[in-house]
Amino acid sequence: MSESLHNRFSHIRSEIMLLVCILFATLIIALLVLITGYLLSLGFGSLSLDFFTKEPIPIGMVGAPGGMKNGIFGTAILIMMASLVGIPIGMLAGIYLSEYDDNSWLNGPVRFISDVLAGVPSIVVGILGYELLVVPMGSYNGYAGAAALAFIMIPIVCRTTEEMLRLVPSSYREASIGLGATKAATILEVVIPSATGSIVTGVMLAVARVAGETAPLLFTALSSRFVEYNPSRPFPSLTVQVFTYATGPYPQQKKLAWAGILVLIGIIFVLNLSVRYFSRQRRPAR
Amino acid sequence: MTTPSLGAGELPPLPGGGSPFIATSRPGILSGDVILGLLARASGLFILLMLAALLIVLFYAARQSMSQFGWRFLTTSEWRPNELVVPRHDANGNVVYDSDGDVVEDTIPPTFGALPVIWGTAVSSFLALLFAIPLSLGSAIFLVRIAPTRIVPVVSFLIEFLAAIPSIAYGLWGLFVLAPFMQNHFDPLVHRALSRLPGTGWLFTEQLKIGNHVITRPIALTGRDMLDGSLVLAIMILPIITAISRDVLRQVPGAQVEGTVALGATWWESCKEMLKFSRSGLFGAVMLGLARAAGETMAITMVIGNNSQIRASLFAPAQTMSSLLANEFSEASSDLHRSALCEVALILLLMSLVFNIVARQLVVGGKDSRGARAA
Repeated sequence: MSESLHNRFSHIRSEIMLLVCILFATLIIALLVLITGYLLSLGFGSLSLDFFTKEPIPIGMVGAPGGMKNGIFGTAILIMMASLVGIPIGMLAGIYLSEYDDNSWLNGPVRFISDVLAGVPSIVVGILGYELLVVPMGSYNGYAGAAALAFIMIPIVCRTTEEMLRLVPSSYREASIGLGATKAATILEVVIPSATGSIVTGVMLAVARVAGETAPLLFTALSSRFVEYNPSRPFPSLTVQVFTYATGPYPQQKKLAWAGILVLIGIIFVLNLSVRYFSRQRRPAR
Repeated sequence: MTTPSLGAGELPPLPGGGSPFIATSRPGILSGDVILGLLARASGLFILLMLAALLIVLFYAARQSMSQFGWRFLTTSEWRPNELVVPRHDANGNVVYDSDGDVVEDTIPPTFGALPVIWGTAVSSFLALLFAIPLSLGSAIFLVRIAPTRIVPVVSFLIEFLAAIPSIAYGLWGLFVLAPFMQNHFDPLVHRALSRLPGTGWLFTEQLKIGNHVITRPIALTGRDMLDGSLVLAIMILPIITAISRDVLRQVPGAQVEGTVALGATWWESCKEMLKFSRSGLFGAVMLGLARAAGETMAITMVIGNNSQIRASLFAPAQTMSSLLANEFSEASSDLHRSALCEVALILLLMSLVFNIVARQLVVGGKDSRGARAA
């Protein structure tokens, strides 16, 4: 009697927990919908053509609050500069991890440290950029911002490159070397081409990550009200501008912040989607 | 590691054609082979240098604060970047005047104690985990054991998209949507509900010391407080804990689950067995979530209220290490102030290193390379 009662109880508990799990998953999806819903509706409500074509205009002047043309340009330039440094170093380090010195004193630590670096709070990276590049140069500047972003990109690019290269069957390498190719030729003309699609994926994810970074730019690039092409001066970026406007006192600028975040999320979403498209198109042969 | 590559050096290079890299009949010092090998090794070394640079630069920048405050930095709670000028009192508590009849003033130098922000980071991360763990584990179980195979990729994509949204977007949402909601609806509701219960007064009042008097006054509910910050943090760490738990749970051998079911376990009991079986990996997932929550900056800066005092109430504004840095670093008033902030950054860095290292040891297979960066 008590046995069957116990049984029934544990079955009921099981059913309840099943429902709870479903509920929790639904809750997470609901949160996502809620958050993106708000971001989209408020963002679209504040988006206008001016956002893309005008620099910000100080509150109180005619035409305020203007747009965020400077931020869009700034973010794009910063990402390009960061990619120029971060992608080659990251990819080479990934190549090193996958193709060179297996089991050497350097290989294991590099993999471990790049994993650990990927978890360093980005604000700390910003402070490093400040101490190393802002203090010696005497002012906030775009180079420091780009370097901080590159710092964040390198571990991500490195580890994805390594993982993708490891998916390339070793028979490819053996065949290439058997045909007389050198190691460099094997890597550059056999291994990497057969993993290009997925490496591009990893790189684009790293770019998407960096595009949304704010904290490392606060103490390095700072911001600027104008479209800036000279990286040795304080440099504008979409994210820092959104932060400044969102925490500032003016409602017009808050609207601009909403529009800015919408554009930013749009960019990141497009990058993510195209990554999915790419990686489905070309998976490395397993 | 899994597919060891064939070392090319073990085979004699043979002449080839068609590519600048293949024709290596002349083994010069600067052949393509040597260059790529050097570049790859240099890049590997560079990654080690990056961590070394972080540690060395922060140590160096923090040395002034370290030598001045020592371990006191971690245990005192006064964070005052400016000098304080106070009238001098004699033994009887009377103000001292000099010969001209002016008040004699003492200057108290600035002092820095990081305890409030360490407390803020600890409490907000702990609360975030408290909210996030049940939701994440429940959803992971949902993805592994309940969801029809057709909707798994959809839900997974949505959760990964939640992870891709930048921190500042969560901050904006927390500041303009969640905080007003908490201020106008949730907080008053809790206040009303709890006001009848004895012993909960401390949640909504704060004690203020003015001179020799201690007054108790209600906390101004702004919605931008410890609770709000923790909720936003929880939402931000949901995706990472869910995604890694899902991967960890997937690796549980089917026999483990089937065995428990064969022995008469209910669905939930077999789930518990799964959770128990993969507990170290799940703990690793939680640690990665913790690392992310502790280092998270922008969103928390926007919603936690930025007040560097230790207060018991969840409805009081607080400050975390990262939000302190975001708020004060670029406007540091003195070298000592900046140095103290660098020491906070150093503590934050060391903490995140520990969390990440422990987590990576625990997550079976160490498959997660995306890491737990806090933005």
